Amino acid sequence: MTTATADATVGAPAAGPGAGAALRVVVVNGSPSEQSETMGLVDAVFGTLEGILPFERSQVDVYRLGPGFTGAVERDDVTPDVEAALRMAEQADLLIAATPVFRGSYPGMFKHFFDLIDQYALANKLVLLVATGGSDHHALALEHALRPLFGFFQAMTVPVAIFASGGDFDGTLLLNPRVYGRIEMSLRDVADLLRMRATGVNRSP
Amino acid sequence: MAFEIGIMTFGEITEDPVTGTRPSPRQRAREVIELAEVADQAGLDVFGVGEHHRGDFVGSAPTILLAAAAEKTERIRLTSSVTVLSSEDPVRVWEQFATIDLLSRGRAEIIAGRGSYTESFPLFGYALNDYAELFREKLDLLLAIRKQNPLTWRGRLRPELVAADISPRADGDTIPIWVGVGGSPSSAISTGRLGLPMALAQLLGPLTLHEETVRLYRASAVRAGHDPDTLPISINAHGYVGRTSQEARDVMYPYFAKGMKDNNHQRGQGMLLPRRVFEAEASAGAGLLVGSPQEVIDKLLAYHEVFGISRAIIQMGFGGMPQKEHLAAIERLGIEVAPVVRREIASRERKTA
Repeated sequence: MTTATADATVGAPAAGPGAGAALRVVVVNGSPSEQSETMGLVDAVFGTLEGILPFERSQVDVYRLGPGFTGAVERDDVTPDVEAALRMAEQADLLIAATPVFRGSYPGMFKHFFDLIDQYALANKLVLLVATGGSDHHALALEHALRPLFGFFQAMTVPVAIFASGGDFDGTLLLNPRVYGRIEMSLRDVADLLRMRATGVNRSP
Repeated sequence: MAFEIGIMTFGEITEDPVTGTRPSPRQRAREVIELAEVADQAGLDVFGVGEHHRGDFVGSAPTILLAAAAEKTERIRLTSSVTVLSSEDPVRVWEQFATIDLLSRGRAEIIAGRGSYTESFPLFGYALNDYAELFREKLDLLLAIRKQNPLTWRGRLRPELVAADISPRADGDTIPIWVGVGGSPSSAISTGRLGLPMALAQLLGPLTLHEETVRLYRASAVRAGHDPDTLPISINAHGYVGRTSQEARDVMYPYFAKGMKDNNHQRGQGMLLPRRVFEAEASAGAGLLVGSPQEVIDKLLAYHEVFGISRAIIQMGFGGMPQKEHLAAIERLGIEVAPVVRREIASRERKTA
């Protein structure tokens, strides 16, 4: 199932143009695990995002979409809940593509989700690339595997992609300060763009 | 090996992020000596001064500060942390530390390192291109000087020494020479091969960060015929011992964040260390030695368990911690933390012996 966690808006109060709007952030999570380093890394991303602008966080766990997803060959085959998850990703202001590196690339289940995404739905969409791997040897999977996928979609990938490896975590808590620094840089680079693109309605009091 | 606990300082001259005041170089120089005095009285084992050639640190000549500290202390060992050996003259290094050894009745030590800053290279006329070879050759000479006098020695980067009389000699048998290692595999391997004690620098990150470094060091020592169980390993990390867990974090955070912003750049700019990242670095699985006395005890024991370290040197004043808070933390470390850690580790070692 999608965890359409359209929770109350969090983050820095909006000010100036676009005040009242919140960035709709959708995470497409390629990890099979309930508790994962990949989501620990995404949590660190949200921690930094909180200091930049208000946002609404939703998440699609591709490994938990079930047979309505895995049995679908084409978009028309998916069940309504999977259709809702696909739509949510297509309508995000910021898409976070977060996945562990398996067998040298993203898992097939993660690719399958994007195989069902409309060919033009991600054009010019801000996409942040996030990956984890067993060691730093896998870091360039971000550039050699994930970025070309979103190049196909003509998405606007954030220039600095985020990678962390097993040794950077205690459980799922990110400890490597260099990775925190990279997240900071990555989001600061596109902070103005994020503010311009915030479209969700701020539902916080 | 008896477990040793100490402190180190860079003698920061930075604006206090809380009060906006900046200590004068004279004040900081005096305060460095006071840190040594209080550490000695609190029963700590080691006092270290780092070498930095910049206006925001008072420690460009650590040997002079250590000599002054020698006069004010009785028992504590006095070490550089580190001596940037690559841009030093090993003959001069030996002469200075041997003099400190005489003044202090045998308490001088050297941690030879490459340094994490490179300001000293142009100051003393060295080329950064020779970074690796400079260190290798100068360490070789320093070890040769320690071993025999008079000395005949030949290298590539300086004129040879022929039957050179290098004095004074150490007060006792020898002066311990450690090698400062930041985590590069080659540095751990070469230190192990030489059979020298290793001082591991840990800035931030997981407590287990240096597991591979230590493994490579020990394996290399064994290959070269050294007994790894006799080789001391020290962890040199940042921290602060507070009254309580919360107080320790509240006191340390603004200064540490300032130190990081001033010294740790990305794309040429200082980055703020957010409080939530600091909290992660202070958590049980991370390396920062900050917390209540009991928390710091637990973490030092965890370091011992993971690496078999026999020494920990904590830097508690990074970013310009005010003297009052710094001294209070030193007293807690010496009185509340160190005795428990020494006792606990001694009993662990009796059990495994």
